[in-house]
Amino acid sequence: MTALIELKDLTKLYKQGGSTIRAVDGVNLSVQKGDFLVIIGPSGSGKSTLLQLLGCLDKPTSGEIKIDDKEVNKLNDGKLAELRQHKLGFIFQSFNLIPTLTARQNVEAAIAKRGKGDKNKALEVLEKVGLAQRANHLPSLLSGGEQQRVATARALINDPEIILADEPTGNLDSRTGREILDILKGLNREKKQTVIIVTHSDYAREFANKVVEMKDGKLHSEKK
Amino acid sequence: MFYLTYLKAELLRRWGKTTIIALGLAIASAIIITIISASQGLSASQDKVLNPLQNVGTDILVSRSVETEKMSELDEATRTELASENRVTTDLSKLGKAGESFSLDTFMSGTMLTFASSETKKLTADLAKEYAAGLILNVTHQEGKIPEITAEFQTGGERFEIPGVTPLTDAERAALDAARQKAIADLQAKGIDPQSEEGRRAVRDAEQAAMPERFKGGPSSFTAPSRTYRQTLDMPQTDIKTESYTIAGVDTSKTDIGLILPSQITEGTYFKAADQTVINLSYAQKNNLKVGDSITINVQNASGSGTSSKKLSIVGIVDPKLYTNTADIYVPLADLQTMASKADRINIILIKATDAKAVDATSEKIAGLFTGAQVTNSKDTASKVTGSLVSAASLMNRFIGLVSIIIILAAFIIVSLITVFSVNKRTQEIGTLKAIGWKNPSIIRQIFLENLVIGIFGAVLGVGLGIGAILLLNHFNITFSANVASSSSNIVQGFPGFMRGFREAQSATSSASIGTTANLKLNVALDYLILLIGAAVAIAGSVVAGLIASFRASKMKPQEALRQL
Repeated sequence: MTALIELKDLTKLYKQGGSTIRAVDGVNLSVQKGDFLVIIGPSGSGKSTLLQLLGCLDKPTSGEIKIDDKEVNKLNDGKLAELRQHKLGFIFQSFNLIPTLTARQNVEAAIAKRGKGDKNKALEVLEKVGLAQRANHLPSLLSGGEQQRVATARALINDPEIILADEPTGNLDSRTGREILDILKGLNREKKQTVIIVTHSDYAREFANKVVEMKDGKLHSEKK
Repeated sequence: MFYLTYLKAELLRRWGKTTIIALGLAIASAIIITIISASQGLSASQDKVLNPLQNVGTDILVSRSVETEKMSELDEATRTELASENRVTTDLSKLGKAGESFSLDTFMSGTMLTFASSETKKLTADLAKEYAAGLILNVTHQEGKIPEITAEFQTGGERFEIPGVTPLTDAERAALDAARQKAIADLQAKGIDPQSEEGRRAVRDAEQAAMPERFKGGPSSFTAPSRTYRQTLDMPQTDIKTESYTIAGVDTSKTDIGLILPSQITEGTYFKAADQTVINLSYAQKNNLKVGDSITINVQNASGSGTSSKKLSIVGIVDPKLYTNTADIYVPLADLQTMASKADRINIILIKATDAKAVDATSEKIAGLFTGAQVTNSKDTASKVTGSLVSAASLMNRFIGLVSIIIILAAFIIVSLITVFSVNKRTQEIGTLKAIGWKNPSIIRQIFLENLVIGIFGAVLGVGLGIGAILLLNHFNITFSANVASSSSNIVQGFPGFMRGFREAQSATSSASIGTTANLKLNVALDYLILLIGAAVAIAGSVVAGLIASFRASKMKPQEALRQL
């Protein structure tokens, strides 16, 4: 069985002042469909850069990223955007909701193929994350946990194969954080959606079937 | 149509930003609308004054004007003509007996010399589509009591005495008489006529012989000293008042070309019958005259003695638009020619060129036909205008381009800066949209549309403000004045030196009728094209800002979504 995501010798260099920073340094990693992967590392370890590369938000300096056996680093910006829309769902530490849009509109903003029933679709997903009753609220009227649920709903609206989360619980208290992780775990279990979480803390470990540690741009695999 | 939902949400929920940008664009738009409209209003007013000819359906004026500054350069014939056309009666005694009241109007052509009305025959159909003749005269009006001008010189009666000789006594005188009588009797006896040469000598000799001795000391001679008497006579003190006004004879056969047109009558009617006059609005106001009043003109009889008067009834008030050649009183041309004893004389021809596009060429041809005459077209009249209108208009013309560009640039820069600033604040939002799959064209469309809609709001608001500003400008009735130098000026010639006082009175009043001050109300028109330009400015501003902002947004990277703020 081929891996859903295959990273080969992936390297990302940043030039900062006179020196070059090896943010991601020759990473090899394969992620199988249905994995719940947690990437743990202290800040500055390069884990966020790795997530950017995994999420096709940025292009590597060298090396290869294959998603569904497709080399994505050769795609142009437009194709990458399509890929992100159809295959990936993003959850951010600070939720990144559009402040002027209601919860439901924020979810609708991510709908890939627009058509009739979009509004119901958004509501359905909000229902799943337990926020249907607050669908018409602006983000500023929602609590952090509620906002992250909206963000999660947004990530799920296109039924992505891969859900990428950057410190999804970083701005939440532990109980709310756990609720979010529970939602993700449920999706992972029921729909075999692949979940990749980047974090600096350990608490997500218990949800993972695979944990890797990152340090100075290099990965250190760890058996669960 | 999610982008419309997003657009509406963005504009309404960030209404502060929307309002500020829209207001900025609206103000720029309104200022542009106001400036251009005001400038056009000024230009329209200016055209009326600068090209007064068009107000009376005219392209070209022909006259024989003499410039007062060049009077000394004139040839003898013209100088004589000028003097004869401006002669004022000085011998008031011919008007009646001393002490009687008199009123006299003297017509003078001023610096606009007259010429025969037959001259107009030179204007052939290829030159003039239409023409009208006119006669504009300065009138010196004198009234008061006829003065008694007497100068008395008394001579003789002086007594000369020769000192040292005692006069004859009665006895001596009797002896002298007796001697004379005797000599005459002797001569008659001899048959000699005492009046003849011989007789008179004989009588004188006899007288000499009878003279007392003291008279015989030789002949005594006396010469009276030679003396010259000089006396300066001042003008006699009377209550004579002198006024000046101008009168114009109008070619009534033409109604769309002429010194005044029926359409310029502001009150009453145009001439309908003989002995009617139409007076200038400003003259009416100054002299408190109105329709229905009458003006009496007293002209010296052709014989030279006495005056005859003509009563003209005022049938209309006119606001003449030929600013370079206005008059106080207008009468039909034939009436004026009769009153002023200038039969078949005119001093101005108004011409409508046959070829409206070749006025300059036509002017030259006409100048060739009328030697010594002045041929004026609108270009020449423009230079005679001064005053606040001209300053305002020239200021406008000089700065309108610059000011408009500065306003447009300032508005564009400010609006673009605000827009770019606000889009920069949305970096994470835009990065997030990109991260969740929005492509650049969608992002650009979104940002651009936001600005375009703001621009449309701004345009609507700007047009509203602009219309408001224009209505306000019109409401304030801003008036500009334009001083137009008159083509004719009153010169007084032929006054003898001792009539100094007269001349001073004359020149003091005559200046009033030289030149015209036209007061023009600034009328700013609402022009749809200008409103459209103003709207376009606002929309163009939003397009420029939108393009810059959406370009910036398109350059933003999706990984910005992950940046922690």
